[in-house]
Amino acid sequence: MAVVAKLRERLRNSAAEWARRRQGADILPLTLARRRLYILPTRAGMAFGALVLTMLIAALNYANSLALLLAFLLAGFALVAMHECHRNLLGLSLLEAAAPPLFAGSTGTLRLTLRNASRLARYRVEIALPDEREAPLDLTSGGRGEVELSLRAHKRGLQRIDRLRISSSHPFGLFRVWTWVHASIVVIVYPRPAGSLPLPSDSGISAGSRPRGAGGADEWFGLRPFRDGDSPRQVAWKAYAREAPLLVKEYSTAGSPLRLLSLEAARQPDIESRLAQLARWIVDAEAGGDLYGLELPGALIPAHRGPDHRHRCLMALALYGSADSAVSAAGTP
Amino acid sequence: MSAPHPVPHTSRLPLLWVCSVSATALVLHAFEVPAWITLTGLGLIAWRLAGLLGAMPLPGGIVRVTLGLALVAAVFAQFHTLNGLVPGTAMLMLMVAIKLLETRSQRDQYVVIGGALFLLLAACLYTQALVWVPLYGLQALLCCAALAVVAYAPGSDARRSPLPPGPGTRTVIALAGRSLLFAIPLAIPLFLFFPRLPGHFWALTSGAEAVSGLGDTLTPGSITSLTTSYAVAFRVRFDGSPPPPVERYWRGPVLHEFDGTTWKAGRYTTPNAQRLDCLSAPYRYHLYLQPTFRHWWLALDTVMGSPGPGVRYTYDYQLIADQPVSQSLSYDATSCTHVHSLVPLSFAARLDDTQLPQGQNPRTLALALQLRRRAGSDIAFVQAALAFLRGGGFTYSLTPPPLGPDPVDDFLFDTRTGFCGHYASAFVDMMRAGGVPARVVTGYLGGELNPYDGMLTVRQSDAHAWAEVWLADYGWTRVDPTAVVAPERLYRGILDLLPGGVSDPERLLHTLPWLNTALQRWDALNGWWNVRVVGFNYRSQLNLLSALGFHSPELRDAGWVFAATLLAWLAWVSWQIGRQQRAPPPDRLGQAYSRLCRKLARTGLPRAPHHGPLAYAQFIVRYRPDLSPHVAPLLAQYASLRFGPPSDSTPTQDVRSFERAVSRLSIRRPPAKRRLG
Repeated sequence: MAVVAKLRERLRNSAAEWARRRQGADILPLTLARRRLYILPTRAGMAFGALVLTMLIAALNYANSLALLLAFLLAGFALVAMHECHRNLLGLSLLEAAAPPLFAGSTGTLRLTLRNASRLARYRVEIALPDEREAPLDLTSGGRGEVELSLRAHKRGLQRIDRLRISSSHPFGLFRVWTWVHASIVVIVYPRPAGSLPLPSDSGISAGSRPRGAGGADEWFGLRPFRDGDSPRQVAWKAYAREAPLLVKEYSTAGSPLRLLSLEAARQPDIESRLAQLARWIVDAEAGGDLYGLELPGALIPAHRGPDHRHRCLMALALYGSADSAVSAAGTP
Repeated sequence: MSAPHPVPHTSRLPLLWVCSVSATALVLHAFEVPAWITLTGLGLIAWRLAGLLGAMPLPGGIVRVTLGLALVAAVFAQFHTLNGLVPGTAMLMLMVAIKLLETRSQRDQYVVIGGALFLLLAACLYTQALVWVPLYGLQALLCCAALAVVAYAPGSDARRSPLPPGPGTRTVIALAGRSLLFAIPLAIPLFLFFPRLPGHFWALTSGAEAVSGLGDTLTPGSITSLTTSYAVAFRVRFDGSPPPPVERYWRGPVLHEFDGTTWKAGRYTTPNAQRLDCLSAPYRYHLYLQPTFRHWWLALDTVMGSPGPGVRYTYDYQLIADQPVSQSLSYDATSCTHVHSLVPLSFAARLDDTQLPQGQNPRTLALALQLRRRAGSDIAFVQAALAFLRGGGFTYSLTPPPLGPDPVDDFLFDTRTGFCGHYASAFVDMMRAGGVPARVVTGYLGGELNPYDGMLTVRQSDAHAWAEVWLADYGWTRVDPTAVVAPERLYRGILDLLPGGVSDPERLLHTLPWLNTALQRWDALNGWWNVRVVGFNYRSQLNLLSALGFHSPELRDAGWVFAATLLAWLAWVSWQIGRQQRAPPPDRLGQAYSRLCRKLARTGLPRAPHHGPLAYAQFIVRYRPDLSPHVAPLLAQYASLRFGPPSDSTPTQDVRSFERAVSRLSIRRPPAKRRLG
């Protein structure tokens, strides 16, 4: 059995590879066209075919007209079922695929949005990642649907989802239509937070990035460009009046520590453990409301806080040492 | 295993469906197999349902296997074989029901549906009568819908993600029904053109019991009530006018052997070597015989030869086929109602047809000898015997009293009440006792002309028995003693004059004329079905092909037409289904807007998916300011028509003016310098 399973696995992979070469890369949004849909009978379908064939032989042998009609009716039914099955995917649109960044070793979700522009509802459209369980969804006529696939992250970096399988055996389970989608869906995988070293204290921070005059109320920290979501009260309206671009005033919370995190500070035996320790610190510092900056060879992220900052830092860790680090600046969750 | 697993509510629906399709499959065969088989099967299904609802534990593996073996043994005890259509059907019925008991997974459910479909096939093999066809169609629909329900079942794997609801029951039935409807246009040409076989792959087993009113034995004494089935036995189309009603004697089995109580056909299937002289014009006709599961082919009185190969024409004018009539069939025949034998009766035949059991029916023997002595000739003896029956106070009744060990004596001298079998039997007994060769002929008497298709319909209730006697100068001569007692028997229409001589359905038919009309129409429809559909065979296929213009058609031509129809149908279905798949067409305004966008796209500035009409206008104006005076107002007009408040003028007028403006718009090619990158 193991040999058969292995053989099937290899066959399936080579078929998928052939389809990838044939179809080329896909760009979302994507509407499933005729030439990329593949259809084969299921086991139930093959059994049904054998049943109809037996009926046909029996009917011919007994020269029984009604049995012959029944056999032909069921054969026609199976062919219609094939068309119905094919129709269930034909013209379906995969609008987008999004996955929030996740930590290595954890399970996240890949959220897919589909649209059914046709006049008929589509039932039991099943979407799966390679070697994973299918997630089914129904789409009403002209409706949209979302489906979440669980996604396991193994190691830090950019995890590319190079293959999605959309399939369906609607309506009678006699045929299975499927397609492979080779869209470039990239998921950012942060290093797994690990390590038990305490957060580096203020002492390790270079003087330059340290706001002066610690203590007292909120202190002036600096200006930065406006981003969506910033409160209007924080905007430096005076500067804007002088025709400067929209800037936002930043204050440091009184008493909040400021930490500079670096590979040297994370004293661990190997580089991955150091990155893991850094990730742990970033998560902890963000949770504690600290200001933190990250120094990596070739990159310096000034001290700051907030979800965007946390993402930048963790992403820098995720891409550290990889060829993808060039795109690091562009990535947002 | 004996405790039921908790069944989640969602997985109940497929099991309910599977239970109901197997129950209907069993009910389809209820008239064919012994009642205990249907009841056991339904009981097992009820057990499964009780298990599903948690009312009763399901049996474990050992119980199931024991039960299965016990039922196989019971079926074997019933039929003494497992081979043949009816025993095989009975086995399949019970096996499907037992399989249902252990049905949990989706695969098991598919297996049960397959079993139900196979039982449907068995039902088709058993009877192709038109009256069953709607039920068969309904069962096919149920099975196909059950396939869909099972396909949406959550399956055995509980770890799957929660399932969307899937289509509702009504949608599922609609889906299955639509798919079957789409399949009909394929099934009909396939039926007509799929290459048929002139013969069989393997021999037929005659599994089914006789259903005809005719048997190969006749025991007048033991029958106290003749069941009068109104089913059609056969239908006949005459080339010319049919014989008058009194001449409509249809020959079935001829009975020679008599043991005092029972008449038997005997082993006499000697081929016919007699030369016959027709005394009247011969009748040519085409006879459509319903399946009887017997070997006899029916024919009018004295048939002049075998209608086809595989059918023997015996010396007593029977037609005996090698294979039992398991399907309705039709044949051409020629018959005479008055014949004259040119060859004298052989010694062996005379011996056979004067044989009587020793010591039985002594009073009849004495009467016959007395009558024969008084009569001068065989003909006079026949007349005397008939006179005895006419004057002896005999009554025709379909419900005669039972007869004792000397049934002919009891009948002739005591009860004097009976139907055709009693009279024929007694008359032949008397003839033989008087030394005149005689035999009992069973068959049908009658036939009603159907005004809707001009065919003569003969029913099982027309079953009749009469006598034939050998008269030296004439040969075998038909004598119907019943006609002497009840001349009305020759005319079914006046049967209701006899209080005991008519069955309830007949009485009903004669009191309600519209019912009779409906019955005749139904007969005509059935006749069409039997001839055109059930009787469609290899030869009809070749005839159809020649009618379509193929010269000397053969199997290959049928194959070509078959392939062509298949392709045409595939294209049609693909178009039909594809049509539903497409997005609904836009309204007139939307169509005009897409025309406008197509025009503008030719300038090299196609509308991006995220462009609304106003954003598109900005985009166009930015790169082609020269187009701005024509295009920008149009796009703005579209935006206001589509999204703006309703205007004073009627909406259709506005849409028309927009359409006209779009048509008028002509766009020059973009200036070469300002090409866009």
